[in-house]
Amino acid sequence: MPSDIAAAAPAAPTAPPGPLTAFWRAFRENRGAVAGLIVVVTILLVAIFAGVIAPHDPIEQYKGFTKLPPFWAEGSDPRFLLGTDAVGRDMLSRLMYGARVSLFIGIAVMAVSMVFGIALGLIAAFFGGIVDVLIIRIMDLVMAIPSLVLAILIIAIIGPNLTNTIIAVTIVGLPRYVRLVRASALTELTKDYVTAAKVAGVRPWRLMTVSVLPNCLAPLIVQAALGLSDAILEAAGLGFLGLGAQPPTPEWGAMLADTRDLMMSHPWVMAFPGLSILTTVLAINLMGDGLRDALDPRLRRS
Amino acid sequence: MIRFLLKRLALTLPTFFALMFVTFVMIRLVPGDPIEVRRGERGISPERLEQLRHEMGLDQPIWKQFVDYVWAILHGDFGTSIVSKTPILHEFATLFPATLELTFCAMIFAIVLGIPAGVIAASRRGGVYDQSLMGLALTGYSMPIFWWGLILILVMSNTLHLTPVSGRVDLIKFYYEPVTNFMLIDSLLSGQKGAFWDALHHLILPTIVLGTVPLAVIARMTRSAMLEVLEEDYVRTAKAKGLSTYRIIGVHALRNALIPVVTVIGLQIGGLLAGAVLTETIFSWPGVGKWLVESIGRRDYPALQGGIMLISTVVIMVNLIVDLLYGLINPRIRHAK
Repeated sequence: MPSDIAAAAPAAPTAPPGPLTAFWRAFRENRGAVAGLIVVVTILLVAIFAGVIAPHDPIEQYKGFTKLPPFWAEGSDPRFLLGTDAVGRDMLSRLMYGARVSLFIGIAVMAVSMVFGIALGLIAAFFGGIVDVLIIRIMDLVMAIPSLVLAILIIAIIGPNLTNTIIAVTIVGLPRYVRLVRASALTELTKDYVTAAKVAGVRPWRLMTVSVLPNCLAPLIVQAALGLSDAILEAAGLGFLGLGAQPPTPEWGAMLADTRDLMMSHPWVMAFPGLSILTTVLAINLMGDGLRDALDPRLRRS
Repeated sequence: MIRFLLKRLALTLPTFFALMFVTFVMIRLVPGDPIEVRRGERGISPERLEQLRHEMGLDQPIWKQFVDYVWAILHGDFGTSIVSKTPILHEFATLFPATLELTFCAMIFAIVLGIPAGVIAASRRGGVYDQSLMGLALTGYSMPIFWWGLILILVMSNTLHLTPVSGRVDLIKFYYEPVTNFMLIDSLLSGQKGAFWDALHHLILPTIVLGTVPLAVIARMTRSAMLEVLEEDYVRTAKAKGLSTYRIIGVHALRNALIPVVTVIGLQIGGLLAGAVLTETIFSWPGVGKWLVESIGRRDYPALQGGIMLISTVVIMVNLIVDLLYGLINPRIRHAK
């Protein structure tokens, strides 16, 4: 949030609510969004404290305890609440550490995309001309190649692992950030306050970062939320194809791929990782929808 | 209109050339060369290796290889697969119909269910139907489709025995020469009893899996477009005239709401043609996506290069056509350019 506007928030009680308060009021109205937020925070906490709350080591293989069912089924073991996988690793612990992997990928992709998206988008909007054409053409090119194919190709070149998954997913999703920032910056640049700032002699760098950027943030925040869920899904897809995080890393997509031979006889081994992905992505999307409704006054219910 | 068309076509040309450059450079960067891979497998002599390298032009300087590559593509030669020894264009032409057939069915599935769902949700805004339909749509949008596919196989095929697990048609029961490579058409042409139904049966699960995300996107888009249109003055006028709700929604509102929906559908088609990678992998569907992934594993440079070039070209063309259609149904866009 821009500092000059945020400072207005704790004003006199008679004044209209500041943007943060107004935002929270609008967001709070949307029950789905609040539910999404709660789930996301919960998963985030699980991811952060996985090392403390997970009952077992996620890669420890317990011989003689393979393919145990979850606690409600017959033949389960209370020490392994959600059962074990084909080589006797604790499902619950792997899911908890998996949250760490998936959220880490998602948040890393989001952060890197924001930095590069803002930089490239602002540069394109401010300098225009050949720089603008070049950046936009490159982004168009990235968008012309189907996203999963491009991601797979990048992975094929730089090799499958966690870091490279982040790189591939970032490159594939970057054009959306760049185009969004550029479009909002171009709209802002036509406004009177920018002209006023220019007349007042504000330097380009300051104009870019202090005057224009804060006004482009609302759509960018929404894009970041949706980008987070897309990144998690895409990374899981790569993991499923064996091109993401490598075993024995407890990545949800890769866990699913491991279970393909088992799924007929031991369906729960397949059920849990998929459910985890779905729940996480759904919660983030619910939150993203709420963010959009709350931040975009045109869609806000009157 | 012609000027608009030419302008859009001209804009795609640089993209196309850049695409050739990028695919060429990227493929060269992939570690491990195809000859090395082969030596490991078969243990052939060094002389034979050199000979193979020369045959494939891999001993030429890199710029020469690129010029040759562009020259060949401009003549419609996308290279020859190192593994299968068939021209890429031919290989692509036999696999692409499978992907196209699947994409087409998935799109029909998504449109036929998505637009009514969006219309119903919009006309009952805030009600139970709206909330449950949009809840479902958001779930579909968030679905990891590879997991969705496995769940459907588990339930529909393995437990209920309603649908086949993989492939395009039961090859034990039916055999016929491919004519168009579209299984639904070929099975009809073959005249074999039950072949068409069998092919259709094989399509059900892949169609649902591939169609889930576009279904959700279309339903959400239709709903928001309808909501916007329902607040327009002409809808109020229609209501004041005493027209029935069905007529207002079906004729007056829907026609205008469809403009953004058509764009979304177009954008989805491009994505689906290529995004079928996961679906094709799960259902062993012999399409372009599965072939591309396998080509990476086989280090089949030409197949990858040609395949990505061809599929990207198709996607660019589809997006171009969507742009043109958009200009047709919405004259404001055409005249603004």
